[in-house]
Formats: sequence, structure tokens, C-alpha cells
Amino acid sequence: MIELILNGLEVKAEQGWTVLETAKFYGLEIPTLCYNDGLSPFGGCRLCLVEIGEEPRTKLVSSCTYPAEEGLVVRTDTRRVIQARRMMIELMLSVAPNSKQIQDLASQFGVKRLRFTVRNEECILCGLCVRMCSEQMNGKAIGFQKRGYKRKISTPFDMRSEECRLCGACMYICPACQLRCQGPQAETSVCNACLTMDPTCLDVYDELQCWMYDAGRCGTCVREVAGSEEGKKV
Amino acid sequence: MNRTEKLQTVKELRDIIQEQVRLRRSEKRPVLTVSSGTCGQARGSAKVINALHKALKERRLENKVKVKVTGCHGFCEAEPNIIIFPQNIFYQKVDPRNGKAIISETVLKKKIIPDLLYKDPRTAETAAKEDGIGFYKKQQRIVLGDNALIDPTEINDYFSIGGYGALIKVLTSLTPEDLIETMKKSGLRGRGGAGFPTGLKWESARRAKGDLKYIICNADEGDPGAYMDRSLLEGNPHRVLEGMMIGAYAMGAREGYVYVRDEYPLAVKHVTLALQELRRLGLIGSNILGTGFDFDIRIAKGAGAFVCGEETALIASIEGRVGEPRQRPPFPTVKGLWGKPTCINNVETWGNVPLIVDKGADWFASIGTDGSKGTKIFSLVGKINNTGLVEVPMGITLREIIFDIGGGIPQDKSFKAVQTGGPSGGCLPKEMLDLPIDYQSLVQAGSIMGSGGMIVMDEKTCMVDVAKYFLNFLRDESCGKCISCREGTQRMWEIVKSVTDGKAAKEDLAVLEELAGAVKDASLCGLGQTAANPVLSTLKYFRSEYEKHVIEKRCPAMVCKEIVSSPCQYICPIGQEASTYIALVAQKKFEEAYHVIRKDNPLPSVCGRVCSRACETVCRAGEIGEPISIRGLKRFVMDWAKARGLDTPVKFPVTKADKVAIVGAGPAGLTAGYYLARKGYPVKVFEALPVPGGMLAVTIPSHRLPKNILSEDIDYLIKSGVSIKTHMALGKDFTLDDLHSQGYKAVFLATGAHKPIEIGVPGEEAEGVLQALEYLKDVHLGRPVELGAEIAIIGGGNSAVDAARVALRNKNVKKVTILYRRSKKEMPAYPEEVEAALEEGVKIEFLVAPTRVRTQDGKVRGVQCQRMRLGEKDESGRAKPVPVEGSDFLVPIDTLVLALSERAYTPYLKDSDGLSLHPRWGTIIVDPATMTTTRPGVFAGGDVVTGPSSVVDAIAAGKAAADAIENYLEGRPLVRSRQPTRPSMYVKPVELKEDELQQAKRSKMPHLPPSKRKTMHEEIELGFTKDVAVWEARRCLRCELETEDGKKAIGRET
Repeated sequence: MIELILNGLEVKAEQGWTVLETAKFYGLEIPTLCYNDGLSPFGGCRLCLVEIGEEPRTKLVSSCTYPAEEGLVVRTDTRRVIQARRMMIELMLSVAPNSKQIQDLASQFGVKRLRFTVRNEECILCGLCVRMCSEQMNGKAIGFQKRGYKRKISTPFDMRSEECRLCGACMYICPACQLRCQGPQAETSVCNACLTMDPTCLDVYDELQCWMYDAGRCGTCVREVAGSEEGKKV
Repeated sequence: MNRTEKLQTVKELRDIIQEQVRLRRSEKRPVLTVSSGTCGQARGSAKVINALHKALKERRLENKVKVKVTGCHGFCEAEPNIIIFPQNIFYQKVDPRNGKAIISETVLKKKIIPDLLYKDPRTAETAAKEDGIGFYKKQQRIVLGDNALIDPTEINDYFSIGGYGALIKVLTSLTPEDLIETMKKSGLRGRGGAGFPTGLKWESARRAKGDLKYIICNADEGDPGAYMDRSLLEGNPHRVLEGMMIGAYAMGAREGYVYVRDEYPLAVKHVTLALQELRRLGLIGSNILGTGFDFDIRIAKGAGAFVCGEETALIASIEGRVGEPRQRPPFPTVKGLWGKPTCINNVETWGNVPLIVDKGADWFASIGTDGSKGTKIFSLVGKINNTGLVEVPMGITLREIIFDIGGGIPQDKSFKAVQTGGPSGGCLPKEMLDLPIDYQSLVQAGSIMGSGGMIVMDEKTCMVDVAKYFLNFLRDESCGKCISCREGTQRMWEIVKSVTDGKAAKEDLAVLEELAGAVKDASLCGLGQTAANPVLSTLKYFRSEYEKHVIEKRCPAMVCKEIVSSPCQYICPIGQEASTYIALVAQKKFEEAYHVIRKDNPLPSVCGRVCSRACETVCRAGEIGEPISIRGLKRFVMDWAKARGLDTPVKFPVTKADKVAIVGAGPAGLTAGYYLARKGYPVKVFEALPVPGGMLAVTIPSHRLPKNILSEDIDYLIKSGVSIKTHMALGKDFTLDDLHSQGYKAVFLATGAHKPIEIGVPGEEAEGVLQALEYLKDVHLGRPVELGAEIAIIGGGNSAVDAARVALRNKNVKKVTILYRRSKKEMPAYPEEVEAALEEGVKIEFLVAPTRVRTQDGKVRGVQCQRMRLGEKDESGRAKPVPVEGSDFLVPIDTLVLALSERAYTPYLKDSDGLSLHPRWGTIIVDPATMTTTRPGVFAGGDVVTGPSSVVDAIAAGKAAADAIENYLEGRPLVRSRQPTRPSMYVKPVELKEDELQQAKRSKMPHLPPSKRKTMHEEIELGFTKDVAVWEARRCLRCELETEDGKKAIGRET
């Protein structure tokens, strides 16, 4: 067993665990995007960053790839981590504003403005589709092309793939493919809707209707039925 | 002595080494060593070598003189260079045609050819030997020095300098643990950039579990401008390979790789040859020299990715995977190539290892500073006289490298910044020049050592452009795995590009800094973590340059094309669209050209004669040839338009009620009046002299500015609606309070700077001593002036030269001498004026200063002078004149004219007027952004605010004042917003044909021959003819067509 300190708590990890796996085991929530339980870790989205080490020599590392080490000191929500996380979300929003998952992350972590010009690429190059195709579906039909700002995901030489079985796993796992709704602030690049405060649903629909198909999580219908305050228009 | 079988024992190797060393020592023949690395070859060393061989053959000396082709000897600026042994003579920039002479003179007759010697760029002293050459003096070339002694393709040469002796020592007398202790004790740190202690890395690799280990030599060297590793691999590959063999022994590795970038073909070739030799002799392979040590080395080539210089990406590349870094831990020393323990070191690090084994850790640790031992090789490039590879002990200062070794900045430009560490590093300004170089101090200053790139920048470098260049490189080279680096470098580049395009807003700088911090924190590998350094370091030291781009839309170094557009329009204080009207002249559309001139200039004919033409000093045609004669073309257009009656003004209607008063009818006041009238204000200009025009009327001589030309321009203004009242002096005929009570809602003070400065020598109050400005004023106003036959004029500016030339036209005057205290180079007067004065017979004595005026009966009889010499530079940037003791002499004269300088003088202001004056210069203090004085409603501009300046600066002040006054009267905020420079129209270019371009030289302005210059009223410049003007206009390079707007306008988008 490896002993480390997570947010001040003394925890134990098994040999071979990453910091993220250790945190999850202990119920500490660290946001992720390019991480998936069933796929190899990638470390590309930089959302799972944690601050390791002790002052003054601390640094940020991606917890999904960093191995749990004896005596490691980890903090998951320091100022540096939160600022970096917010900037990563802002960068992701600027290339894929139509993704519900990224909009939700923005709402959740307080990213309210987008200061870069939007490029609707609908892909944040998180590599989930590549790993899904390669590791889970054994298709190995798609991969990364080029490097730097020209990087993209495609089939070899952009040619029609004979390996692709049209299973759709890539689309299933893609965070950018899960589109946002046409609801609140649909025309803006940061909607800050679902996960923040006031429901708008009721102003648009006569009957109670949950926009997000997550039955009552925003609490509108429950509140309305109980005769509580009206939802304010955002 | 060549062997074809493998060496079986250590003794056999030792014997070979001793034999080769003996052969070298006993070499009696002269040896011509030609530096022939990649840079030498690019400069033509192959031809030089052929020429030498040919010359030797002709004299049948092939066996008596040896020509040795070596690798780079570091002094790239001097390539191709030859060192002639045994005298150690250093010849630089050798041409193949020198071949014969080198053999006949230097080799046979032992005579030195002076032209081939190194010449110090600043002192012009020559040096025949390396130890006399400034470039080499402060270097300590322990690693790179041997390049000059050996042919890199000959292993015997390496033996002959004791090569592989360190390997023998290791194999016979040192245990791996001893070796690692030695490395730790030496203090050697990784030379690839991170500076990790090499001994510790080796120890970690040795301790790692597993019996299969690798060592790698990182020769990816991706930093732009860095080529130290290339030179070492090309020039002395065995040194690096020996280091690797020693390292393999220490760590227990059996295989090694040299990962060299594909773009280094010569390095690949030489390393391949070296490996072949080693394999042939059995020095790599199994059971080396019978000691049981197995080690083989292979070459792996890169394929054009900067990121593959990063350890884990490099390993991925060798394994055949995409060059992407991965998270560390696990570190390569634990789990590296193919999952095995791997030690990666830089070429230069490996190159130091044999030296440390040979000479000991203590010797190595005696060089350098506490935290950084040994030497470092830097590639000193950029705006530097002595470009090349310099190897210096750690702790040397930047100043020593740049000025002593590098020989300073070419063309006398001033140092601005030095960039160290490549794209991961930062720019350090001149305040940091005394920084001692070591790993720690560079990081503290905001940069890094990096692999050793050192790019020197001068005043013509834009630091924002530098940041943009590095960001562009990084966004291209980012592997793309983590979003912080991939997207972050792209967005940082976008923001910096918008700054250089003149499109950024103030908030963008804050976003840039925030983004830079996030990229630095969140990135996975060293590339991303240091990607923000170019931005952060330039923001730290050159923030004002960024702010000028963002707020004022100006690029001080005049580099950013989207902001500058055409430099002539950019630099003109009134924004005259020189390239536009020149383009119209080239198309023979003279009337349109006239309108372009007129719209921005209320005194165009005057400017066409006397403007100080800053435009011509920045003309791009002047950078590669001769600048366009812009002023001459402007004059041509105005003369042409006036001759056809086109210069007719329209009277501006008065649409506003607020009256504005202007004091001073010089160029500033007249311009303000014109623009205010154009805006509809009733404006009145009060002038103390009997004539309007200020210095234009009473100081600039008529032979330069004919007074009828001046009147024509002033008449235009009067007819447009500017009302001028002469003989009205502020302080005497009226006061500021009077203006206020007469209902003037705003006042513009533009009274100029024309009080002469006293010289401060005894006797200057005597009769016959005149002030130049008073003299010229008297002449122009037709007042009587008495001049003697022999005149001396003290001073070196335009007033001195003007006064000299006017005096010479006086019938009484026989001899005019100008006495100036500095040399011709420092003389502030326009060079063409000085030439014309000399042509007319004015004498000029340089480096002379007056000490006393000699009088008789109260009248001037002579002036006592002292000779001067030039000393250190003073605050004006010019050399201070220092008196030479005992050099007194007397200049006999009848009249002395003092022409030192002028200052602003405002006797008409009382304290109760409420204005502030500068305590030293006497100028009126204003807020430079709004031109407001301390009294509400009173503005000031021109020479009375700035001190003596140029006509066009005064016109600009007048224009700005008119805008400010309008904003004031309308109750609007006074600060103006800026835009990047753009012309009002894009004229299709008229291209010069190829043969015309070859001949293109600046058209000479025809001058009246000196014999015809009798009085002041003959204009000297005669003006261009139409054909000459059109031809000259076609020489223009049309810089404004190179912006995105320009390209789009004429359909040449890229």
C-alpha cells in the first residue's frame, strides 16, 4: 500500500493506482473530460489537474496519469488549480461551444465569459474516440493527424476506412457530440444555463416540461407543484 | 598507421594513441587548417580548399605542406577561415583567389597578408593570431577548441590529440561508482537546457533495476539559431562518442543511440563515419578491448519535430511512435526506451565527459560559478558583429560576451535586448547586461540558459514582433496533446498578432497575461510549460512597447507592417501620404497628387523647400539603395499645380460662434488658424513682427525659401479665412486677460523659440558681436546691417550655416569662417547645407571652441580659440568636446556671429497669467496629450513648448491644437483615439522594368551653380523637370501595398 496525503487526508492507495483513481476511491470529486474508466488515461484535457508537492516547489499535474507515490502531497482545489481549470474550459468553449458537456463544465466552474474568437471545430482533441475505437472496439480506424494547431482526428490519409465497422462508439463517447439545447441563451457562446440557478422552462412551455430530461434535478417542477416562487426569466 | 583488425587489448589502443601523438608532435611541415563545417561550406570553403591544393600542386609542394579540413572553429562571421601552423596565423574571409598568395607569401616567405587578418569592428586594429583576436580572447574553448586540430573523418587525428585516453583510464582504473562520484564532484549539469546534475542522473540510471539499459545522445537541437551541437558532432564526433562510452560503462548500459535531427546531414555523415571506424577497430561492439565491456551505438534520425528534443517524446520517436511527450514519473532513468532504464544527455554534456575523466573533477569544478561549473557553448547570433559559437566559463557577463567577444552591434546601432534559451527562454534588456551567466541567475532574471542560443537585438527590433515569432514557432511545433499548449499557444499568438496588427484593445494584454500563466501551469511537458516565456519576459521588460502598439497604434522600431504601412507616412508628424502622391506622380496624375498633398498640409510649398524630411531617413528604398527624393517630388507637384492656377483656396464659412485667438503667426499658429477656420470657427492670429511666417519669414534665408513662395502659401491661408494681425505683440499691445475680456473663448500660444543662447565667454557684449537670429531677422526685414570683411561664426547648426551663407552674399564680406567645437560627423546642420556652404567658399574649422573675444576700443578685433578633441559621449549621445591644453590661437575678425541655439522666451507672461514654465528651458508646460496649459482655455504648442524643432513638427502641433480646441469648445473629452497608419487610397503600382531597377539611383536635385549665386534672392534648388520627377516617383517601393488592406486593394492577396 502506498500512503499519500490528499487534501490533508492521509489515504492509502494500491500499487499502480493513479492519483485520480485514489481520489475517486475516497469519494473526492475531480472533474475530467478525456478520462474514461474503461480506456487508457490520456492526460490531454487538463481538467483533472491537481497541485502536488509543498511550497515553494509545487506544480500542477494531471491526476489521471500521475501515479500515486509514497508521501505525495496532493491538493485538488487550490487557487492555481481553479484558475488553470477555468482557462482550460474557456479554451474548450472557444472551439466547441455547441457541446452540452463543456457548457455544463462552464456553468459548474464559474466560467462566465469567453474572451477568444469562437472557432466552431466541434472537437477538443480529447482522444476519447481514438482510444474507444482502438481499445474497446478493436477497430483502430481513426487516429490523430499532424501536430500543434493543425492537429485533427481522421482516418489514415483522410481516406474511407475499411477498418471502420460503423459501430458509432466514437460518437457515443464524444463529449462534443452531445449537443447543447436550443434553450436559454442559445445564440451566445457561454450559456451558463442548466447548472446555474433559475429555470426558464416554464416561460416557454405551458405545461411543466423538463428541458434537460433529467427529471426534476433543477427543481422547477417540484417547486412549481409545491406552489413555490415562479421561475424567473433569465 | 591503419589497422584492419579489431584491437584486442587496451595496450594495443594505448600504443596506437601514443604513436599518433608522437606523429603529430613530430610534424614539421606547415599545416593549413581550413574550417569547413556546414557554415564554412556554405561560405565556399570547398573552393578555397581546391584553390590551396591547386596552388600547392603548381609548386610541387603537395607533400611538403599539409592541408587539413576540419570542422567549425566557431568564428562563423569570419568563414572561410584558415589557421596556418606552426605560426598559428589566423586568416579570415579567405577567397579562393587568395590561395596562391597564401602559399607563396605566408607559407614560403613567412610573410603575413594584412588584408586577410581579422580587423576589430570598432577599433580597426588587426590581429594575426587567435590570442589577439577579440572574438577568442575571453573564451575558454575546452570542448570546441579541438575542432581546429582534427579532421573529423579521421580517427587517427582524434588519437593524435590523446583521444580515447579517457576511455582507457576508465576501463583500467575506475569503477562505475568512482566514475559517478567523479561526475557528481565535477558539478557538470545537463547542457541541453534543464541543467539537471549529470552525476545524479547517471546514479539514478545505474541504480535502476534491470540488466538492459540504454543511453541516448540528444542531438535534436531544435532551437532556432542554435547550432552548437551540430558543430561539435560535425567537427569532433569522437569526443561525444567517447563520452557516451564512458557513460555506458558507468551506468551499465549496453546500447546507445545518437538521436540526431534529419536537418544535419553533415553531422549524420561524420557520426556514421566515426561509428564505422569504431566498429572496425572493435572499440564498440562486444567485449571491447577484451575487458568484457559490451556497448554498441546506433544512429536514429529525427524527422522535423522540435518537440522530439523533449526526453519522452524523443524516446517515443526512436520506438517508432508519434513524438508525443508523456507524464513523468516514471522518469526515463527508471522506465525509458522500450520500457528500460535510459539516460538521455545532450551532445555538449557528453562532450565534457572525457575531459572531466582526463583532467579530473577538481579541474572542471575550478571553472565557472558555485552553482554552474564548467563552460557553456553559446551560439551568438543576430545583430552582432562577430557572429559565431562562443565557449565561455560560466559566470562571465552578458556584456563581455556581446561587446568584448561579439564586438558589439553593427552599424553603430544601440543594443536593445538579448534573447537566451530559444523559444523557451526570454529577452533580457540592457539593464541586465552585467548579469553573470549561470543557470540560476538567468532563471531569476526571467529567462533560461536553454541549449545556448543567444540572439542579440538592436533598436530596429520590435519586441512584440519577437514574441509573435516565437509563439508562431511554438504553435506549429506543439505536439497537440494537451489543450493548454495546443490551444494556448494558438490563442496567445492570435492576441499578440492583433497587437502587431494594431487591432488590440487594452484588455487584451490582461487576457494575454492570464492565458500565459495558465499555459505555463497546466501544460504537460517542457514545451508548453515554457511556451509563455517569450511573452512573459517581453511583457516584463518591454511593456511600454506593447502599450504603444495597443494604445497609440505605434511600433517604435517600425517593424510591424500592419501598423506602419509606409514608413514615410508613418513618421511624418502631419501624416502626409507621401507614397500615395508619389504613386500618382508615377502615373502622371499630377493634379490628384496635388490634392493628396494639400489635404494634409497647409504650407505645402514651404515644406517642399525646407522640410527636414524625416520620411527620407526611413524610406525603405534607402535601406537597400538610396531614398526617394520625397521633398523634391512634393515641390515639383506644388510648382506644377500653382503654374496651372490649381492652388486656389475656398473661403471657409464661419459656422460657429466661439472666437479663437492665436498668438504667433509661425507655422504652428498659421496651421491652427487654418484648421480652426475649416472647422467653422472665427479665428484671429496676432503676430508681433511686421510680417507673418515666424522663422519661415525672418530666419530661413531666401535662397532656401524664397519669400514669394512663403507669401503664396500664407495668402492661401488668409483667403481660406485666417485673419492675421501683424504688429501686435502679446505683453505689450495686449494681454491674455484682454483676449479673455474681448470674448475669445480659447487661446493658442505659438510664439516659438527664438531667444539666442549666450555663449558665455568674456567680451561677447562688445560691438561687432551679433546673434545669428537677430542678424537674419534684420536682413529679411530690410533693416540696415553692418558687417566687417572677415567674419567668424560660432556654432554648427542650421542657423550657423544659414548666417554664413547669407553673410557671404554681403558685398562687404570677404571671408566667412564657421568655428564648430565638434567634428563634421556631429554637426547638426543639414549635410547638404554644409556641402553647399563649402561650395560657396565658407570655411569651416572643426574641433575649435572660443575662449575669449578680443576687443579694441570696445569693438571686436579677434576671437581667442582653443582646439578640442572628442571625449566620452554626453547626455545628447554625442561625444563631448574636451579642450586640448596649450592649443590657444587667435582668429582675427571684424564681426563675430553667435549661432549656438535658441530657447523659448515668454517675457509677455506674468505670474498672474496662470501658466507654468519649465525652470531650465523656459518652455510653456502643457499636458502633452491634450496641449492644455495650466490656465483653462489656453493651449500652447510648437517651439514654445518643445524648444527649437522643425517646421513640420510645428505644423503638426497646430493641427493637434485645432482638434483639441474644437473638442474643448464642444465640451468633448480632449484625448484623441488612434488608428494604424493607412493611406486614403491605394494607387495601382507602376513597376520599374528589370533593367531600370538596376540603374535606379536617386535623382539629383539640380542646383544653381555657385558662380550665379550673387544675392540671397537666387533660389539654390531649381526643382525637378517632369520626366525626372516621374522617373524618381517610379523608384518608390510602395510599402503601403504590403499590408493586408493594401494587398486586397490591388488584388494581390496571398
